[in-house]
Amino acid sequence: MREKKPALIITFSTTTDAMGMEKFCAAQHLPGRLIPVPREISAGCGLAWKTPVETKDSLLQTIEEAGLHWQDVHVVELWA
Amino acid sequence: MFKQVNAMGDACPTPVIKTKNAIKELNGPGTVETLVDNPISVQNLTRMAINHGYGVKSEKLGDNQFRVVMEIGDDSKAQEEGEVTCPVPGGSQNDTVVVISSETMGTGSDELGAALMKSYIFSLTQLETLPRTMLFYNGGAKLTVQGSAALEDLMSLEAQGVEILTCGTCLNHFGLTEQLGVGGVTNMYDIAERMGSAGRVVRP
Repeated sequence: MREKKPALIITFSTTTDAMGMEKFCAAQHLPGRLIPVPREISAGCGLAWKTPVETKDSLLQTIEEAGLHWQDVHVVELWA
Repeated sequence: MFKQVNAMGDACPTPVIKTKNAIKELNGPGTVETLVDNPISVQNLTRMAINHGYGVKSEKLGDNQFRVVMEIGDDSKAQEEGEVTCPVPGGSQNDTVVVISSETMGTGSDELGAALMKSYIFSLTQLETLPRTMLFYNGGAKLTVQGSAALEDLMSLEAQGVEILTCGTCLNHFGLTEQLGVGGVTNMYDIAERMGSAGRVVRP
C-alpha cells in the first residue's frame, strides 16, 4: 500500500553543493539520496538530499565538520 | 440465494475481493449486494461484473453510500481469471508509457544528466497517477541493473504495478544480462507493440 511518510530534506544553494553532498555521503557511507526539491519547499537549487528524519543530528554534525555547505533543513511528507 | 457485503470504508481492492468471495460462497446462481462509500469502488465492481458476465446495477443511497447489486446466473464465467485493478489516486495507472533511452537526461553535462535522470525516476514515484509501463533501451538499460542508483525507485514503481521492461539486446550488448535487478526482459516486437498501443509515450 502506498503511504506518505515524513522525510528529512536538506536543501542547497547550488547544484554543485548538492552533487558534492552525494559524493561525500557515498564515500562516507552516510544515509540518504539526491532527489528533486519537493514542491512544498523552495531552495536555491533544484536538487535536495533526502534522508530518514532520525538521522538528522548525526548527519548534520558530520557534514558541518566536513565543511560542506547546505541551505536549509525541512521535514516533508513523501510517498514511501 | 442472496448475500450482502458491507465494504463501507474499505479501500480498493477490498470491495472487489469481498464481493468475489461472497459470489464464491453462493456456489451457484444468486444475488450479491455490496455497499460501498465511493464511486471508484462502484466502477471497479461494475467492471468486474461485466467481465464475468454478471448482471449489474448500482444506485446512490446517499452521501458517500452506494449499492451495487450483481445477479449471478447459471452460465456466468468462472471467477479465477483477471486481476483486480485500482484506478484511484495514490495507486492508479493510466495508459502512459515512459521510454528511457539513456542513462542521462538532456545533453550538456553527463554528470548533471545522470543526476537529472535519477531525479526524474524518483519524481515518477511521487506522481498520483503512475505510468502503465516503463521501457528501457540502449543506455537506459544500465538503469535497471544491480548497482543502479535508480534501482530502489524502479522496484518501488514495480511494486505499485508499473510494468518495467528492459531491452534484452541492450543488456547483452553491455554485458549486463545477468545483472538485471528489476522487471523483465523484452524484445523489439514488444517495445514496438507497447509504444504503438500507448495512450501517450513520454521520453524524458
